[in-house]
Amino acid sequence: MANRAEEVAMSERDTGREALLIKAFVGLADTLVDDYDVIDVLDRLAGYSVQLLGVESVGILLADAQATLRVVASTNEQTDWMELLQLHADEGPCVDCFRAGAPVNVDDLATAAARWPRFVAALQERGAYGSVHALPLRLRGQAIGTLNLFHGAPGPLPAADQALGQGLADIATIGILQERAIRRGEVLSEQLQAALNSRVIIEQAKGVIAQHGNLTMHAAFDRLRHYARSHNLRLTEVARQIVKTDLTADVLTAPAAPKPAASRR
Amino acid sequence: MPELGAVTRALLAIARDTKDDRALAGEICRACVEGLDIDGAAISLLTAKPSRETVFASDATAELLEDLQFSLGEGACIDAAVSRRPVLVADMNDPAQTARWPVYAAAVVRQAGVRALFALPLQWGAIDVGVLDLYRRAPGPLSATQTRDALNAADAATLILLGLRSDPGDEQAWDRSWGNRAEIHQATGMVVAQLGISAADALARLRAHAFAEQRLLRDVAHDVVARRLRFMKDT
Repeated sequence: MANRAEEVAMSERDTGREALLIKAFVGLADTLVDDYDVIDVLDRLAGYSVQLLGVESVGILLADAQATLRVVASTNEQTDWMELLQLHADEGPCVDCFRAGAPVNVDDLATAAARWPRFVAALQERGAYGSVHALPLRLRGQAIGTLNLFHGAPGPLPAADQALGQGLADIATIGILQERAIRRGEVLSEQLQAALNSRVIIEQAKGVIAQHGNLTMHAAFDRLRHYARSHNLRLTEVARQIVKTDLTADVLTAPAAPKPAASRR
Repeated sequence: MPELGAVTRALLAIARDTKDDRALAGEICRACVEGLDIDGAAISLLTAKPSRETVFASDATAELLEDLQFSLGEGACIDAAVSRRPVLVADMNDPAQTARWPVYAAAVVRQAGVRALFALPLQWGAIDVGVLDLYRRAPGPLSATQTRDALNAADAATLILLGLRSDPGDEQAWDRSWGNRAEIHQATGMVVAQLGISAADALARLRAHAFAEQRLLRDVAHDVVARRLRFMKDT
């Protein structure tokens, strides 16, 4: 616990963050007690992480049955950024974090080029990234995926941010596992498989919406998410109906989402 | 990178060639029976009607299991198809595991003498292909390793049945170019919109184009997403 002097010295950032933290905590808890869509929860979680931790971009990856990491949520839904996240999962701090089941902090990307040449080069091509921090989604001493924080400036992740980030990563794990009542211990690989297939459905639906509405993949995802949330429908179910039948026109004619609270690049 | 399981490797060696669904389903089921701790397997595929048809059963018991749930209208396999999730029942005699279909579970044990049943949906995003059913006479779960192998095998089987594996034995192509490739899924959706066809047909069009042009599917998908390539009706 912080002592009194430290409390008085609490910076404005912390006061603002406390309000945000309450919003994030209540919002996530509210979602998790109801019937929810796992990709939607992970998307919300990524959005909150950007706000709470002051990072540029957040990506969440889950391991498939082959222990290959796959992108399930990203605050940037553009194709090239998601490809970069995937590269990060093949060669980068993300996969090291997953294998070790422990955080991997790259405080200064400029010094990491020798270790992960392709990943660092791809990231630097996109400009303003200084550091990357990968936190494990932990379950009984194992990692089932990673939460990745991309900062604009180099520098270490402050201890409080590290703890908060790990808390958010743990909520992601709970969200994935609780999506359906856990009946047996072996249920984990089934849950992961279903979450990963949901992500494929969402990518297919983004394509349909992007084509019909002449939108970028990121804008297409925004429309999809806004429609699902404003109609109180499951994200994956809306995506499935877009691919299978024709819900696309409804999604595109619904009013566009107001600027989301989470900063999106 | 962990080793691929035995069944997944066996499936990756299957060439589509000119085989029909029944022959392919047979090869998939046989690979499962050989590589997993099970006694039999069956594959049912979705037909144009909103129903499924058993295209292959490895033995009379596997066939009886399929018949039972089609006649009762409930069961692990139907559950897997509807929920689009694997349904793994380690013991059909355990009421906690069979609460959703007690009549079916009792029939499975009494009439078929089967205690464990694992139903895996064959799906690729929003594309539903069918269900792979695995059974064992003795109760008990699949080991963690075998569960992973079975889940991977279901993915490989889906791609085989969709006619999407043209390069048998190329494990690298499987593990890097498919599930991980958001662009392939996005391009599938774009072609759905361009041609007004199903996702399965859109994937087939992408694949046919790649084949005709001697290019990788992911490169074709990349061009579609970048809007450098657009599919036209009847071309």
